[in-house]
Amino acid sequence: MSDLNATSEDILERAEIDKSVRFPVMLFFTSAAVWLFVATALGFLSSLKLAVPTMFQDMPIFGYGRLFPAHMNALVYGWAMQAGMGVILWIMVRLTRVGLGRLQSTCVIVAGHVWNFAVGLGTFGIIFGAGRSLPWLDFPAWLWPLLGASYLLITIWVIPMYRVRRAGGVYVSELFIIGAAVWFPWIFITANVFIGNGAAPVMAAGTNAWFISNLIYFWFAPVSLAVAYYIVPKIAGRPIYSYPLAKMAFWALAILAGWTGFQRFMGGPFPAWMPAISGAASVFILIAVIATATNLLMTLRGRSRLWEFSPSLRFTMFGMFLLAMYGVLAGLNAYFPVGKYLQFSHFLVGLDTLAVYGFFSMTIFGAMYFIVPRITGCEWVSGGMIRWHFWLSAYGILTVVLVMLVGGIAQGGNMADYATRFGLSVENSQGYVIGRILAWLLIGISNLWFVYQMGLMFIGRGRKTEGPTLIHVEPGSVATSEAAAGLTSEEVV
Amino acid sequence: MNQNSLWKLLSGLGLAFGVPWVLMIVVPYNREALAQPVEYAEGEEVAGNFAQYPSSVAATVGASDFGAEIYVREGCVYCHTQMVRPTYAGPDMWHEGWGGRQGQMRETRPQDYHGESVAMLGYQRIGQDLSNVGSRMDREALHRILSNPKSVSSVNMMPAYRNLYVKNGDEWEPTSDAEALVDYLLSRKKDQPLPAELK
Repeated sequence: MSDLNATSEDILERAEIDKSVRFPVMLFFTSAAVWLFVATALGFLSSLKLAVPTMFQDMPIFGYGRLFPAHMNALVYGWAMQAGMGVILWIMVRLTRVGLGRLQSTCVIVAGHVWNFAVGLGTFGIIFGAGRSLPWLDFPAWLWPLLGASYLLITIWVIPMYRVRRAGGVYVSELFIIGAAVWFPWIFITANVFIGNGAAPVMAAGTNAWFISNLIYFWFAPVSLAVAYYIVPKIAGRPIYSYPLAKMAFWALAILAGWTGFQRFMGGPFPAWMPAISGAASVFILIAVIATATNLLMTLRGRSRLWEFSPSLRFTMFGMFLLAMYGVLAGLNAYFPVGKYLQFSHFLVGLDTLAVYGFFSMTIFGAMYFIVPRITGCEWVSGGMIRWHFWLSAYGILTVVLVMLVGGIAQGGNMADYATRFGLSVENSQGYVIGRILAWLLIGISNLWFVYQMGLMFIGRGRKTEGPTLIHVEPGSVATSEAAAGLTSEEVV
Repeated sequence: MNQNSLWKLLSGLGLAFGVPWVLMIVVPYNREALAQPVEYAEGEEVAGNFAQYPSSVAATVGASDFGAEIYVREGCVYCHTQMVRPTYAGPDMWHEGWGGRQGQMRETRPQDYHGESVAMLGYQRIGQDLSNVGSRMDREALHRILSNPKSVSSVNMMPAYRNLYVKNGDEWEPTSDAEALVDYLLSRKKDQPLPAELK
């Protein structure tokens, strides 16, 4: 698995395989980067609108009830899923050593354009009043077949790849990718069949909550874990610490995640066992989180200095840190004695953002910093820019989470006191809303850097000189992050 | 690895996901879809003289069906819940007017949402719960808060829905959209007395 054992044929073959997915993957990455910026701007605007409700009040398109869902859906479908699909394709062809044929590649590219078109229509649709008011499913109903079909045409190819793969055993990353690819259509079709036909209104709302939770645990989590189990051993130059432990984490997630979701409606019009079981499952998912954290940290043991230099490792490990944080906070939120106070508070926005912009996006950035130079044949322009991107994003996302957590506790505390009038909870949460605006401003600036860098790579204006772009090091002066960290390569067993 | 391993993997994935899918979604969904209204027992006295719970008459006012679409379009659900929790989960019912009319205050039950396309249970509570807003506010007050929320309370995160109103001198005159939305809000009365057997 390590570059150290690679023969020149191997390297040529890899280049050939990379070339086969070059256009689809770059299509997904660049359009995702643009969507990310759009979503960030909408996130900033919607938070601003909450603090200054009178802003543009004569224009319906600036209502919070339209800006916020437009922001969330653009972030989930425009940025996160699209970038994730690009990463899935690349990792899969790399691991299985089965490239995409010309016809398949064309199919993926066409479907990718349809996906972008659908997300664009949907986002405009929400803003101009065609939204459905179903969190994370706000796009107009007639767009769903289009999105579903293009998803299938993009990710279906991982199944034959897995079947005819030429590389030896099964990589953990492959498991996670197959899982994500198979589960998404299932939860997506379920959500669209069960919601909106009016037969069972309460279960429709429940299915919506279940969809959000399952999209996080059955798509965002497995895709980011696939990245982590690929990038960390690659950069560390060692195989993963324990394969059985990684497999255990995978199956723990697979068995538990489907039960989650209803904790959003604790005390709601559901049989009491449903939120209870969802809550318990959310807590037990910590098993998978702890197993993963242990595994990755043990893989990096003694080589953690690498994270200072390698952009991919830095983003990926930060993403995994946020995944652990998400696991703990989501578990806490699902634990009834705590969750009943945090339910419906600002904390929910913090948690949802932590999932999409937190652990998922950070690991995807890590993957992109790794993949893009390999498929475009040029290097990132400067390590300094990557560093800015990292720190602004990190401060941004941690600010959102912290502010929304504390704000949620304040708000929930006010609402839990029956003698307090409701308005007090609104007054007391104003300051936290301002924190949310600042956080989106930081994230917005960081993504401006990212879009700029990605644009340069897309038009082939990256650095053409030898050697990777690392952080804290003159570009091209060292050949690997191991050399930069002063570590010697290990013999791979 | 033989080719069987793909099918083994896929069936494992299907089983791990299929069990919760059936138990958490399919079965509860069908139970709700097949639930029948409950008749009040002979001689049971009910405010409003309803024959059964849930009553299909109770949930509509004027153009409230169209108003529900305005509610969805403007994304009201992102700040307002329509879900009153039982006392073990929080003091929702003690907030003024949240739990319903005096004497019939209670948490919301699944059947209260009968006839809606999707129950607007909510996402956040930046604004008040609206399960029983039809009992605690009148048409005029609702128009006032929709056209100019700041007139009700200076600290208020609610935007004004000026697109639903037409300016006439100093007054904001409601359009038919605004009237429909207010009809919908006035129909929010999720406190119909429960038949004895459901209590």
